[in-house]
Amino acid sequence: MKRLLSAAVLAAVFAAPMAMAKETVVWWDFLGGGDGVRMKKLIEDFNAAHADTIEIQATTLDWGVPFYTKVQTSAAVGEGPDVMTYHASRIPLAVSQSTLSEITPEDMATMGLSADSFAKETWDAVNVDGKQYAVPFDTHPIVLYYNKDLLEKSGLIGADGLPTGLDGKDNFTAALQKLKDDGNEWSIVQVTADGGFAFRTIYSLLCQQNGVIGGDGAWFPDDNADKLANAVQVIADWVGNGYNPSYTDYPSTVALFTSGASPFMINGVWEVPTMADLQSQGKLFNWGAIELPVLFDKPCTYADSHAFAIPNNAGKPATPEKHAAVLEVVKYMSDNSLFWATAGHVPANVAVTETAEYKAMQPQATYAKLTANQVFDPKSVHAGVASALFDAAGNAFTAAMNGETDAASAVAEMKATMDALQ
Amino acid sequence: MLRNRRSDLVVAYLLTAPFILIYAWLFVWPVIQMVMLTFTDAPLIGAGKSVGLANYTRMFKDPIFFKAIWNTSYFVLLTVIPGTAVALGIALMVSRLGGWLQSAVLAAFFLPYILPVTVVYVIWDWLTNVQFGMLQSVLEWVTGRPVNLWRAIPWFMPSVAVITIWWTNGFSILLFLAGLRNIPKDLYEAAALDGATRWQMFSRITWPLIWPITVLCLTIQLILQLKIFDQVYLFATGGRTQATMVLVQYIYEQAFQKNSSGYAATIALALFVIVVVFSVLQFQLLRIRGQK
Repeated sequence: MKRLLSAAVLAAVFAAPMAMAKETVVWWDFLGGGDGVRMKKLIEDFNAAHADTIEIQATTLDWGVPFYTKVQTSAAVGEGPDVMTYHASRIPLAVSQSTLSEITPEDMATMGLSADSFAKETWDAVNVDGKQYAVPFDTHPIVLYYNKDLLEKSGLIGADGLPTGLDGKDNFTAALQKLKDDGNEWSIVQVTADGGFAFRTIYSLLCQQNGVIGGDGAWFPDDNADKLANAVQVIADWVGNGYNPSYTDYPSTVALFTSGASPFMINGVWEVPTMADLQSQGKLFNWGAIELPVLFDKPCTYADSHAFAIPNNAGKPATPEKHAAVLEVVKYMSDNSLFWATAGHVPANVAVTETAEYKAMQPQATYAKLTANQVFDPKSVHAGVASALFDAAGNAFTAAMNGETDAASAVAEMKATMDALQ
Repeated sequence: MLRNRRSDLVVAYLLTAPFILIYAWLFVWPVIQMVMLTFTDAPLIGAGKSVGLANYTRMFKDPIFFKAIWNTSYFVLLTVIPGTAVALGIALMVSRLGGWLQSAVLAAFFLPYILPVTVVYVIWDWLTNVQFGMLQSVLEWVTGRPVNLWRAIPWFMPSVAVITIWWTNGFSILLFLAGLRNIPKDLYEAAALDGATRWQMFSRITWPLIWPITVLCLTIQLILQLKIFDQVYLFATGGRTQATMVLVQYIYEQAFQKNSSGYAATIALALFVIVVVFSVLQFQLLRIRGQK
């Protein structure tokens, strides 16, 4: 009976789909870390589920400037992929270079998605001048990771099992001092060797003061330069007081946190898989991650979004069949983004974050509420990940965070660099 | 045998034509295009508007451009002569060894040379890590506290220079060793019979005979180090890139990060002029000295 069944299945597999041409979708992404492994699983699942109709041919490229220049140059000569991951913050530059195709409302209807499927800021970030250029897949904010065992020892865990008493700059400083007094080598680790990376924290703290970074022509309007200096000073004080190690790079911050040398770490949600994997091997303490505490006036956290974009391949527009296949890929990924949440990212599709499965996922469900208080990069061709703004932040903030210059002159330096851009 | 000179020439032209055509097409023509690019405001992709000499006036007023020239020169100063001297010293020592031992030691010195720059970066970034790096304990003898070499500006260029010498020295050592083997043994025997000291043998025999190799090494090193990019880019990323900017890195930043190819081409042309002037000058200077 079993043999008969498998023969029937085989016959079905060989007979039916052979007549139909299989559509291939060339896919580029820049996901090289723990999230890349999870993305490969999603792609495999897609290919298995569409074994007869669509095949994704995926390539992972280097994150940052190399990825975006490759996309730009290849799209310009019609050699870009069919679909690719894209940071929402890089869309303004891509649109100015005509690298991206518009995603029409009909496309969105085909995928069963609309503006209401996403958080307002996330949706806003993929739109330029009223046109949509990408489909948000996730939002990836920074969060505050904590070592529950060490916080408990210092009495900083509340009745609900979450860290308590951290809101307000003075309270937070008191908590850091308490952790230091209680014998921790460091109180908090935040990347201090890379001002571009630290921009995420500093920008969050600027937003917490109702501050903004403007755009071309007026980068720091009104008193925003002062507010930015306040934000930089927060980290400079952590370093100055010996709470946060100076000139510490990204891998070291993760190592200091996971080795228990520091009870707090500020980092992106993409480090969640690192913690989850270590814990499943029994090599990690009890840990969690929460929204950044409110140090100033209101809750606010920097976020960016991994989105799917379709390159504007010059001279080689996609056939309707190819376009339909691409939309099917994006729809599948969006529908199945619950698995993507295990990579730490918050799925952009609200329908997914409202499921019971997501709400049971920890610590994701705890910090996911910050999407109500998120701030994206300013919309400018000079802003976004690995942009001129990040670069200027790297130059200005690296020295200031480590006490080599004061915060005000760092902000002045950054302002001069940004104003000089043409 | 009598042959027609004209037909010889025709054959010569025919045989060199493929090279000349390909060279003109793939090298000369792009260079001309690049020079034309310097008069436009072209982005990375596509043509730009003509802007006359605006890129040049901008370049001569650009503090980062001059910073990049200074940093590049400083790096050249730190690597070219010291690197060649170290290579000569090591080659002299290696040449005294014999048999398999010499091969093994030579291989050890040559090994870093075959590593890609990314591997070199990872190894040294790890060794010098401010929290966990093994070399920090050595550094602490000097500085009293851990130093992030890649963010403390005075440390940056000398550190990159040391790593570059460690990385690229194998090739110069190999050249020197080949040169040393070409010096006839009889010269040393004759000198020994005449009662020459070790220093006299080096300064009167080895040094003059090895001089052409030294010139070659210095010239190769000069051109190579003027084009420094990868190490500086990798070690500085995310930090204070403007303070440690070198010329090729600035070209990359303008073209790829800031999307202004016209200005990037202008800086590239400036670098081209600098390389040509320096290498011609250096080669002539060293040749004249050698002929004395």
